[in-house]
Amino acid sequence: MNTVPQLGDARRGKLAGNIAGFGRALRRAGVPTDASRIALAAEAARLVGVESRIDLGAALEAVMVSREQDRLVFRELFDAWFRDPALARRMLAQMLPRAEGGAELPPRRPRVREALAAPRPPAAVPQGQEVEFDAAMSASDRRRLHHADFNALGAAEYRLVERLAREVPLPVPRFPARRLRVAAHESCHARMHWPGVLHEAARSGGEMFRLPRLERRLQPLPLLVLVDVSGSMERYARLLLAFLHAATRRAGRRDVFAFGTHLTDLTPTFRLADTDAMLAAAGAAIDDFAGGTRLGESLATLRQRHARRLVGRRTLVLLISDGLDTGEPAALAQELQWLRRHSRRLLWLNPLLRFEGYAPLARGAALLHRQADAMLAVHNLAALEQLAASLAALMRANR
Amino acid sequence: MTLATTDAVPPFSTIDAVVQALEGTGYFADRRLATAVFLALRLQRPLLLEGEPGVGKTELAKALSAALGREMLRLQCYDGLEQREALYEWNYAAQLLHMRAAEAQGTVRDVESEVYQPHYLIRRPLLQALQAPPPGAVLLIDEVDRADEPFEAFLLEYLGEYQVSIPELGTVGAVVSPVTVLTSNRTRDLNDAVKRRCLYHWLDYPERERELAIVRAQVPGAGEALSAQVAAFVQRLRSQPFANAFQRAPGIAESVEWARALVALDTLVLDPEVVADTAGLLFKQRDDVAALTPTLAAELLAPQA
Repeated sequence: MNTVPQLGDARRGKLAGNIAGFGRALRRAGVPTDASRIALAAEAARLVGVESRIDLGAALEAVMVSREQDRLVFRELFDAWFRDPALARRMLAQMLPRAEGGAELPPRRPRVREALAAPRPPAAVPQGQEVEFDAAMSASDRRRLHHADFNALGAAEYRLVERLAREVPLPVPRFPARRLRVAAHESCHARMHWPGVLHEAARSGGEMFRLPRLERRLQPLPLLVLVDVSGSMERYARLLLAFLHAATRRAGRRDVFAFGTHLTDLTPTFRLADTDAMLAAAGAAIDDFAGGTRLGESLATLRQRHARRLVGRRTLVLLISDGLDTGEPAALAQELQWLRRHSRRLLWLNPLLRFEGYAPLARGAALLHRQADAMLAVHNLAALEQLAASLAALMRANR
Repeated sequence: MTLATTDAVPPFSTIDAVVQALEGTGYFADRRLATAVFLALRLQRPLLLEGEPGVGKTELAKALSAALGREMLRLQCYDGLEQREALYEWNYAAQLLHMRAAEAQGTVRDVESEVYQPHYLIRRPLLQALQAPPPGAVLLIDEVDRADEPFEAFLLEYLGEYQVSIPELGTVGAVVSPVTVLTSNRTRDLNDAVKRRCLYHWLDYPERERELAIVRAQVPGAGEALSAQVAAFVQRLRSQPFANAFQRAPGIAESVEWARALVALDTLVLDPEVVADTAGLLFKQRDDVAALTPTLAAELLAPQA
C-alpha cells in the first residue's frame, strides 16, 4: 500500500471518520452497508475529492447504494449528513417512517428492522404448548380439523390448523428448464455431454466405452400470488399467507402481492425464513387490511409497475379472493384479460366454495370465473391438500 | 498462465475528462453517471447499471470501448446460459482427433495432459476479455438478470478478482483488468454477492437538455424546431399524469428512432395527426399505441401553462 501523505487524505482524518459515521447512519436507515463498502467509499472520496459536494455525493452513491429504492434515502441522508452530522442524527428518527413507507418495502435484515420499527407488541405467540399438543394429537382430532372451516375455529384450534397447513406440501409444477445436467440414464435422444465424453476417452486412451448424455433440468414454475386482504377475507388471508409461505419455500421464483384497496408487494417479506416473522412483517407492510376490495385497480398497478415479475409467460398466477369486488367491472375485465395473456395459468382460489351450491354470481366473481383457468377451493385442509393435485392436472391440460 | 498486472496509466484523471471523452463518441452522460464511470475505472471495479429499457445502458459500454480504444466484448445473458457459452469450451472434435492420431502413432503416453492444452480451448467472452492484449477490453455482460442465479454465482470469481479457474489448466488471470459493465432490467433482484463486487448506478430517463443533445447528435437531419419538439414531447409523455396512461414510457432509443422516422416523413413540425400516425415507433405495445390518440397528442403538444 503506498502511503504518500496527502492533503485531506480520506483514508484517515476527519473525512474518513465522517464517512464511517455516514455509513453507519445509512445502515440504520435500512441501506445495507458493510465495512468494506465504507472503506471503498473513503477511497472513492479520495479519488473524487471533496471540492464539489455533488461529485462527492455521486461518488458515495455509486459505491454505497446498490438498489434503486435506496437512492432517495441515500440522497436525503447525504444532504443532511454533510451539512451537519449531529443534526442529521436527530433527523434520522424523523426520516425513518419515510424510508419505511417507500413504494417497495426494502428487504431489511432483522436487526435493521428491530432498530427501525416502532415498539410493537410481539406478533408471535409462544408456541411451546401447541407443539406438544400437535405431537400428541390423535387421528380423530386430525380428522375433525380437516373438515372444519377456519372461520369457525377457536383461537387454540386456529393455531393448530395453522401448523397443519404449514405441513401440507404444495409442490409447484415443474417444467424442463433451459439449463442442462448430466443425465442419470443414457437415453439415446439427449445431447452428448462432451466434456464427460472426453474425460472418459482420455482415461481409456481414446476409446469411448461410455457416452455420458445431458438432459434438461427440471425447474419449478415461477409463482405469482395475489392475496385478497379485504374485510371479507381477513381471516383467510392471514392463514393463507402462512400456508403459502411455508408450502412454497422450495419453489423457484416466488412473487407475492397483497391487495385490498391497493397493491402491496410482499415479496421481500416472504424472503424471511421464519413464518411468524413473515406474518409480522406482512402485517406491518399491509395498510389496507380488512378494508374494501378494488381488484381492478390493484391489477392495473401490477401491470404498470411490476409487469416484469411475470416471467416469459410461464408464471403460474394464484389469485386468492372471494370475488366481492367493489371496483369498476369493465376495468377489472380488461386487467384480468391482460393477466391471463401474460401467465401460463391463472387460478382463482376461492374460500367461498365452502358453501354448497355456491355460484359465482357477484359481478367481480362472475368476471373472475370467466377469465380464470380454474376455480379451486381453499377453505379447509382437505381443499388445500387437493390443491396440489389440481395444480398438476391443470398444468397438463391444454388451455 | 499470465499473472494479473496493474494498468500503467489510469485513463482519465478527472470526471470532466470522462464526460468529454464520452461526448466525443456521441454519448451524453450526466455528471452522476460520469462519476460512477470514473470510479469504476480508477477503482477497477465492475459497474452495474440498472434502469428502464432504452435509457442507454448498453450504449454506455459501446461508448466506453470507443473512448478507451479498447476492444468491446459482449456477453448477452439469457435463461439457461452456461459456463461453456460464457467462459470457455474445449474443442472436442480436435481433441478426439488428437487422441486418434496419438493412438495411431503409438504415443498414447500422457494423452490426458496433451489433450488439455490451451491450444484446444475455445475462448468465450469472459476468457477473451481476460486475455485481451493491452490496452485490454471492455466486457459488457448484458441483461444479467435474464440468466439464472447459479450463473451469477459463477460470475463472482471474475467480478471479484478478474480471474477464472479452468479445472484442467488452473487459474487464468487478467492481462489487463477488463473494464466490465453489467446491465440489468430488474426482472429480478440480483444476488447481494454480485452487487457487493460492483459499483452501482441507476440510469434515469435523461432531462430535457440532455435528450435534446442526444437527438441532435444522433439525428442530424432533424431541424432545430423538430428536435426540440421531440425532446419536449417525450419528456411530457414520461411525466405524470400522462405516464399512467401507458404501460411503458418510451426510452431514449425510442425518441431517437422516432425523430429519424419523422425526418424520413419530411416532418418539420409535430402535429397531433403525425404523432398518432407514428405512435408505433414510440410504443411497442398495441394498447399503448392505441392510447396515444390525436386528442391526447394535442393535449401533450399544447404549450404548458
